[in-house]
Amino acid sequence: MLLLIVRLTDMNVPPLIKTTGITKSFPGVLANDHIDFDLFPGEVHTLLGENGAGKTTLMNILYGLYQPDEGHIEVCGHETRIRSPYDSLKLGIGMVHQHFALIPNLSVLENLVLGFEGGFILNMKDAEKKLKRISEEYGQAIDPHELIQNLSVGERQRTEIIKTLFRGSEALILDEPTSVLTPIEAEELFQTIATLKNAGKGVVLITHKLNEALAISDRISILSLGQKIAELDGDELRSMGEKEATEKILHIMFGGKPIPECSLVEKTISDEVILQLEDVEVMNSREVVGLNKVSFEILGGEIFGIAGVDGNGQKSLCEAIGGQRELVSGRIRFRGEDISQKSVSYRHEKGISYITDDRMNEGCVLDLSLSENAILRGYRQQPYSQFKIINNSIVDGYAKRLIHDFDVKATGPDVRAGTLSGGNIQKFILARGLSTEPGLIVCSKPTYGLDARTVSYIQELLLEESKQGKSVLLITSDMDELINCSDRIGVLFNGKIMAILDKCDATPERIGKLMLGIEE
Amino acid sequence: MKKIEFNNIAPAFYSVLSIVFALITGAVILIFIGKNPLLYFGQLFFQGMFSSLGLVESIIKMAPLLIISAGLLACFSAGLWNIGVEGQFLIGAVLAGWSAPTLASLLPYPIYLLSVAALGAMGGMFWILLPAVLKARYDMNEIITTMMMNWVAINLVTWLVKGPINDPTTVPAQTALIPMEHRLSMIPFTSIHIGLIVGIICLFIMHYVIRRTTLGYEFRVLLSNKCAAFHSGMNVARITIWGLLISGGFAGLAGVSDVLAIKGLFQGDWNPAYGMTAIPLVFLARFNAWAVVPLAFFFSFLSVGGEFVARDQGVPIFFVHILEGLTLLFFAASEYIEKRRAF
Repeated sequence: MLLLIVRLTDMNVPPLIKTTGITKSFPGVLANDHIDFDLFPGEVHTLLGENGAGKTTLMNILYGLYQPDEGHIEVCGHETRIRSPYDSLKLGIGMVHQHFALIPNLSVLENLVLGFEGGFILNMKDAEKKLKRISEEYGQAIDPHELIQNLSVGERQRTEIIKTLFRGSEALILDEPTSVLTPIEAEELFQTIATLKNAGKGVVLITHKLNEALAISDRISILSLGQKIAELDGDELRSMGEKEATEKILHIMFGGKPIPECSLVEKTISDEVILQLEDVEVMNSREVVGLNKVSFEILGGEIFGIAGVDGNGQKSLCEAIGGQRELVSGRIRFRGEDISQKSVSYRHEKGISYITDDRMNEGCVLDLSLSENAILRGYRQQPYSQFKIINNSIVDGYAKRLIHDFDVKATGPDVRAGTLSGGNIQKFILARGLSTEPGLIVCSKPTYGLDARTVSYIQELLLEESKQGKSVLLITSDMDELINCSDRIGVLFNGKIMAILDKCDATPERIGKLMLGIEE
Repeated sequence: MKKIEFNNIAPAFYSVLSIVFALITGAVILIFIGKNPLLYFGQLFFQGMFSSLGLVESIIKMAPLLIISAGLLACFSAGLWNIGVEGQFLIGAVLAGWSAPTLASLLPYPIYLLSVAALGAMGGMFWILLPAVLKARYDMNEIITTMMMNWVAINLVTWLVKGPINDPTTVPAQTALIPMEHRLSMIPFTSIHIGLIVGIICLFIMHYVIRRTTLGYEFRVLLSNKCAAFHSGMNVARITIWGLLISGGFAGLAGVSDVLAIKGLFQGDWNPAYGMTAIPLVFLARFNAWAVVPLAFFFSFLSVGGEFVARDQGVPIFFVHILEGLTLLFFAASEYIEKRRAF
């Protein structure tokens, strides 16, 4: 195949998007501080930055969700104001969020026309023709009549991308697109991005994975504390070699601050069985079998990793152990005690700390302060409350400690949780989950959406906890994290444990196959 | 610095602003029906606030509003919408009217008062028990069930005073009259009954409970994020039931206070419909007990003053309901403006 890569950036065309001096502040935070950013047709411009660096804010401004306090936005050479996502779509800017905005019980085609029906009578025939044309042009095969709920995560993401093309977007913003994908799906996504690029579309990629950024970017902009601190050329970085390029980027992002290495210090795994699942069966939220006769044991000091494509029973597994979901059959023992019928708070008091991946809905209450969020689980226990009266000063002190210990970017314990960035909320929730000295930590995607430094800090922390004899059930979609941190790995497919691998037997290929249900 | 200061007083500012706009719109309506708004409002304010009779009447009328609001603070701050305050009030009132004459002759005064109050409060709680259980167990919309229970209560009490608990010695359908010495006592040196003090105490106890206790914490978490409440191991059903029972209990207590202090008996189709005033009031106060007190005074002054003026100027007493409605309307509008400002 002949791939003609044209660098349109060198030509004299106006940028698709150009921002000058974008500034946006929220109470107590300067999220964007005079940011200049541009995107040309036919290029991939990647945004890198720590959590709370201002990437999401900048993209939300381009998507019309926020209005900048200062600065200008030009689209295709014309200065404009983007007042709403509808404006943004009309200007040719399409966004694919981390959480897809698709309606599960409608078909692909119906989702595409949603909001753009163009009149009272739906013209599905024309829409289908248009979809077919787009599919052929960009090589995106998809069945227009399949319901979204029957699609895999990768296919749903593809639908989202097609949706933006369907609405005539010239600039696409992809917010951490690979975080939900299997390695194979991620590879397909990169091909899609290459196709889009060759077709003259501009792509903004937000990611935390440096290797991805290096592989496909034409330009990489690095944000820190709301400012753009560097813009690097993709080709130049690639010519340096991966290791050196990575080091250069990390140096810019974190200055001289060293990144803790994921150390492999010997640790001892005790013989004591901490958690034992015996033929556990539960229904998931759609009343379909969520876990199908799952059995395994976790020993003291062991990190047990769970691999699997999202939606294959991870949530059911966490909630079965955390107590949020009733067992249909089977038994769960914690330190020998049968806890199958015990309440969430009983299990929590016994030392099971479940750190959910649904941070915004389950993990915290966005309208309440950090102090109030700090005691979400422990509010009944001393010293946070006594005789049913909450001791505010102790709670504030506790919240302050969590903020300090985990370097959460927040002005104080009394700010609303909702004002924090997603990554900082996650840090806070982790801090809370680990502060209770639990015997078993169940954590689902603990590093999802966090920056490189925080990721290694958290991984280090989990290892540290396990060295102190605590057990960890680590559910993650990040293959590197899974293999680096886990002592043993169970692969979930369709609610079943396909296999349990020892650390030394686990290779990404083997796990990848098992994740897709291919038996060995 | 100035901006922050405004943000602190913004809630109060918007509430007052919506009252002012309501009065202005009310004036326009008065002009349309050919009345002089200056004369109307002049008399309304003079009679309701500055004449001693009006002032005392307005303050007396605050008592049931304060007691009901105390309960509503609890359930509203948990995101539970008890719209059936009227029904719970009537059940509490009818129980008081029925039990007071008998209990008064059997028990010493303080114990008699406490037991009638407890009975009335339990009546109110009982009346909301069914909606509460339905909400907790089947997530059935409490707005609808509590409202339906209102109609059942209104008809039930009417039937009760006509039949089973009727005082046969009198012609109208009513319970036996409670002798003056068994009524609620007055605040010393005034003609205002102690219901007012009970109301204020209830209000501030609930204010404290919501902000400082574990139960109040559970309420607030439930209001903002039910999912997080469940996930972190709160017993959502139990909290739901408590929130609604507390509000029903206070409504019942308000019924007791009115019967023991003002009416002295329960009469056929008596229904002061305090709920329709207390519910908007708690919203206007933004679930804040400190704001409930002045607003309760404002609303009771409106209804007392409105009654006076109606006689003199031929403006129907319902006009004050229009003013109340307009206040709420403008309040809703101000919330919208405030949300826009936040972005």
